[in-house]
Formats: sequence, C-alpha cells, structure tokens
Amino acid sequence: MKKALITGITGQDGAYLARLLLAKGYEVHGMKRRSSLFNTQRLDDIYQGAHVKDKRFFLHYGDLTDSTNIIRLVQEIQPDEIYNLGAQSHVRVSFELPEYTADVDGLGTLRVLEAVRLLGLEKKTRVYQASTSELYGLVQEVPQKETTPFYPRSPYACAKLYGYWVTVNYREAYGIYACNGILFNHESPLRGETFVTRKITRALPRIVLGLDDCLYMGNLSVLRDWGHAQDYVEMMWLMLQQDKPEDYVIATGEQHSVREFIELAASTLGLTLAWEGEGVNEVGRVVVFDQRPLIDLIERQAAGEESATHKAFFNNILAKLNNNPALRPGSVIVRVDSRYFRPTEVETLLGDAAKAREKLGWQPQTPFVDLVREMVEEDFAGARRDSLCLQTGFAVHETKE
Amino acid sequence: MQDARITKHALIFGVSGQDGAYLARFLLDKGYRVFGASRDTQFASFANLRALGIQDAVQTLSANPADFRSVLVAITKAQPHEIYNLSGQSSVGLSFEQPVDTFSSIGTANLTLLEAIRFLGGKIRYYNAGSSECFGNTLEPATETTPFHPLSPYAVGKAAAFWQVANYREAYGLFACSGILFSHESPLRSERFVTQKIVRTACRIAAGARETLILGNMDIVRDWGWAPEYVEAMWAMLQSEIADDYIIATGRTCSLREFTATVFKCCGLNWEEHVQQNRAAMRPSDIAISSANPEKAARLLRWRAKHAAEDVARLLVEAEQSR
Repeated sequence: MKKALITGITGQDGAYLARLLLAKGYEVHGMKRRSSLFNTQRLDDIYQGAHVKDKRFFLHYGDLTDSTNIIRLVQEIQPDEIYNLGAQSHVRVSFELPEYTADVDGLGTLRVLEAVRLLGLEKKTRVYQASTSELYGLVQEVPQKETTPFYPRSPYACAKLYGYWVTVNYREAYGIYACNGILFNHESPLRGETFVTRKITRALPRIVLGLDDCLYMGNLSVLRDWGHAQDYVEMMWLMLQQDKPEDYVIATGEQHSVREFIELAASTLGLTLAWEGEGVNEVGRVVVFDQRPLIDLIERQAAGEESATHKAFFNNILAKLNNNPALRPGSVIVRVDSRYFRPTEVETLLGDAAKAREKLGWQPQTPFVDLVREMVEEDFAGARRDSLCLQTGFAVHETKE
Repeated sequence: MQDARITKHALIFGVSGQDGAYLARFLLDKGYRVFGASRDTQFASFANLRALGIQDAVQTLSANPADFRSVLVAITKAQPHEIYNLSGQSSVGLSFEQPVDTFSSIGTANLTLLEAIRFLGGKIRYYNAGSSECFGNTLEPATETTPFHPLSPYAVGKAAAFWQVANYREAYGLFACSGILFSHESPLRSERFVTQKIVRTACRIAAGARETLILGNMDIVRDWGWAPEYVEAMWAMLQSEIADDYIIATGRTCSLREFTATVFKCCGLNWEEHVQQNRAAMRPSDIAISSANPEKAARLLRWRAKHAAEDVARLLVEAEQSR
C-alpha cells in the first residue's frame, strides 16, 4: 500500500486530494496545525477515529515552520509521496504578513525537501509542490505556459517563487522526484470563505434570503482562469506517477472577469444584474428578479423533506423573497470597497495547459458555469439553514469577516 | 534630491565583507557619514575595514538584518538617507549545506529591511545586492529582462529577494533597487572564493612553495570584474531619478582555465605544471556559463567597468605580492 503525506490537508485541495488518494487505496497522512478552533471541517466525512479497524487515514499535528516536526513525521511515515499543499495562501493577506508568508510558503517548501534529503529518501519519496499562477503576476505573455517568465506581484508570489525554484533545484541537484504544479485558480464549495469566488457565492444567497444586504468587492475587472479543485487534485497525483519529474501548468484555458462571475452566480439565483459607474463608484443593480430558478433549487434541495414543518418554512421563504427590498428592481446589491484592492494587482491570468494535456492526458472536467452553479447551490443550502435556524430562535454562527 | 550642504548618511549592512568595505571607503570619499552594521561588532574583526584604513572612520553598530527590532534601532541611530544591504550568507557551495540559514540571511533579511523602510515612512533609499547566480546558465549575455533559472539554494534566495524588492517598489513606491552584480573580485575576498585560491596558491608557488593547485571544473565561464569599481554602481543606482534594477558586469567573459593561466603567467609560471583538475570539488549543480550585457547601466547610470578579467588577475597578483 502506498503512503502519502499531505501538508495543508485541512484546506480545499487537501480535502479533495485526501479523498482521491483514499479512493485509490493509499494510506493517507495529513499534517494539520494546532489551533484552539476546530479546523478539520472539510475532512469530517473521511475522518477515521483512533479505534477504526484497518485505519488508512491519519492526522498529525505539524507545522511548516518547524523543521524538527517535518523531519520526524517524514521519518515515521516513510511516505512514497508528499504533497506540499500547506501555505499561507491568501494573496491580499500576504501584504499584511510578508515575513510569515515567506517562512511558511518559501522556507516551508525547503524544509520538506530537506527532510527527504536528510533522511536519504531521495530515491523513494516523490514530492509535489503546490506552485501557483500568481508567479506570472504582471504577465509577460498570454496565455501563460511552463516557459513563461515569472513576474511576482505580492509577498505571497515572491515566497512561492522561492518554493518553485528550490523544488527545481533539489530535483536538479539531488535527483529528487519533485514536481511543481503551476495551478491556476481552482475553486469549489470547499474554497476558503475569504477568497473572492467563495465570498461571492456565500454573499448572494444570504442577500436573497435577507441575511445580508450588500456584497462589497475589490477590483471587479480582474480576469482569472477558474477551474474546479476536484479536477485539479487529480493532476497533482498524475504528476507523481510519471517516468520523469517535470513542472506543469494546470488551467482551463478560459478566462472570466470577477464581474462575470458575480453575474453568473446571481443568475443561478434568478437575479439579473446591471453595472453602473466606474472604479470605486461601480455598483451592481438588480434589473429583475425571477423567483423560478430559486424555487426549483429549493425543491431540489429539499426533495424528500415532505413534512408540514418543511412546507411552512417553504412558504415562509417565499414570503421573504416577496418582502426583501434588496431583490426589487433598482436595488444596489454589489458595491466596490477600495480596502479590498491590492497594492499591486494581478490584472489577468490565463493558462495554457497543453503540456499537461499531452503528457498527462489531463483535461479539466467541469465547465465554468457548472462550477459557479455548484458553489452557489451549496452556499444557498447553508444560507437557507441559517435562515431557518434564526427563524426558529436558534443562534447561528455568523462570521463577520 | 537632498540638499548638497547636508551631510548624507549611509547605513551599510554587511560592512565587514568585501563590498561593504569598498563601498564604505567610496562613500567616505564622497563626504558621507558612514554607519556599518554587522551582526556582532564585538566579535567582528573588521579586517577589511582595517585593510583599507577606514576602521575608525566608519561608525560600526550591531544589527541583525533579519530582526526587525535590531534593524529599527540601527536605523534610528544612523538616520540614514541610504541603506545598502550587502549582508547575507554569500557562498554558493555553503548554501547546499545550510539552505535554511541561507534563505533567512538573504530573503528574510531583505524583507525585514524593506518592511522597516516602509514602516518609517518609505523615504530611505534602498540598495539590495542581487546576484548573477539568479540567471544560472546564460545562453546569451543576460540583460535585466532575462528570466531567472537559479541553480543553488543561494541563487534561489537571491531570486526571491530580487522580486521582493521589485514588489515593494511597485506596491508601496519605495525607492528600492537591486544590483545584479556578476562576479567581482578583489584582494579582500577570502580564499574560499576560487579567484583568491588561485592567486594565493600561484604566489606561494612562485615564492618557492611545492604545492599543486586543485581546481574543479575549469571550463566554467564567468564575467569577472573588479569589486572596487562595482560599489560605485551601487551608489549610482541610488542617485538616479527613478528606482530600477541594473546588471553590473564587464560584458566580457573568460574561462576559469584562461583566468588561471593569466594568474600563473603574472607570477612567471606555466599553469599546466601546477594545476590539477578534480571533479570531486564540483557542486551538486554548477553554472557553466555566466555572461552579461551591462548596457543598461552604461546608458542610464553612465557606469562602465574599466577592468576585465585579465586586469583583475594581474591586479590580484600584484596585491598579493605586495602584501
């Protein structure tokens, strides 16, 4: 049985990758940081307690800033594959935490590679390094591929640049099977709540149900190449199954603006938006609200719940929709707040994954519209639950971030 | 620009090294008040400052550039108009053995200095020592737009630091520059660097010692310049109207074999009788060719190297023989 160690297992990619590797028969070890808050929600359904027979899923306390910890874990586990997904992964936040970001994302990668080298596992343990399209930053060519020069635009990207090159260097200098996956943006219902896509798909259902009244955004015009995280983790695994270690761009080859993402998310909920103004004064206004897509969605999500209580809630939601001023034509539900701007913005990213297609036989499976719909629908279910709880007098946890 | 009547202050991190010493001397000659930071002034010998006869003229202070408090204290004492960051673990070979410390002393230190300047209002001009090692092998002479391909933990750290400087310049408008200096030599280099190893061994042999010089790959090609004139380019960058990054090099290349031959010739010896090549002395990954196009510096800084490799070899031998 192959053994894998995943750093950053509590994150979006870690959760999807852990599922994939478990399904492939791996013994999966995950490294999680100690926190006084629960941080394993994304792993709840694959978690195996201490007394499960034939346990194949293990969580270990660990931290990419602690060499001794990484060396000990790698020594104990003797993994065949390490996926280094752990990172301070938020670009905007890296401007606030530049040194920490360099330590975790840059030196953290080195510590993982050093552990492999130090323990003499160069021939046994393969390493996947989570590199990023943010390396291209101020893009030097369109679309971006493996040979496009980097131009990082944030402390996050500078730290990841170190991680990228130190991975290449350890491959070249010591013959470690180590690959960089240069992943373009990849999203899912498990995406962190503070990332722009998830922020949008969380906010719009809440606005529809009257839990919030407006979505405040940063730069609406930035263009991104968005894929589905579930598709992308498969490629991480594929990279480590080849004869030769190489670096690959993973992307859909399709580009959309943040504005388009919002429009599409809104339309999933029956909202048609129009944009007015420019820059910080730009607003998104409701043109028309059509209840039908939403009613379909509620019926689909509530299929099987035939109780009288449920009917009462259903009617109650309809009443909420009718009385919600935010849904009336002309109402402004999206505004721009300059505090979400980055000091140096990455305006456009578009990947060319031809190499991954040819050498790994990899194709993204999820079209953009399906990705957005899945995210909105999942978050709508959450918003509906919150609405229901509030209505019946239960407190809900509302993160104000 | 600063008022010419005001004495400018400069703070040099890594003042005890080769470049720090030459830069300190150059700035003193320009009328600067020079503060030199070293991690622990009690233990530093400042042999290079003494060798240049400027130890008393430079005000030394203890500071670790990777420690924010220590940087702030140093800046508060020195009140610099310009900060030159020449500190950091500087051996490519050692970086394979001490990769974490190499990054801390290069990447974290650079970030800390940038943050400190930003914290203090962003008025201090900043020079960071980049490195030609970032390019790895150069297929044609590197320019400022040539993509990096670092081949050692040292070079990877320098590449990250280069982009940190660019990012702080673009994000916060800091006057911050990276000088991408190609190899630059002087008598102040330690024998750990190959040029000094060759020169000192050749001079010993010329003086009668019976020894053999063991070298790694002699086919490697470098752009070797003269360190005392490279520090002038650092200063020139911080006097420009616009902050930018510059390659500093001679624009001419020379193989290690040619360099060795020149050194031995200057000593009146035939190198082939005294040198052995040993593949074991090679690094896990080494640069074969490192060549540069320094035209941008010539055009915008009006800086050009006066000495190329042959002169460097001769000057090093002369210095060694008059030691």
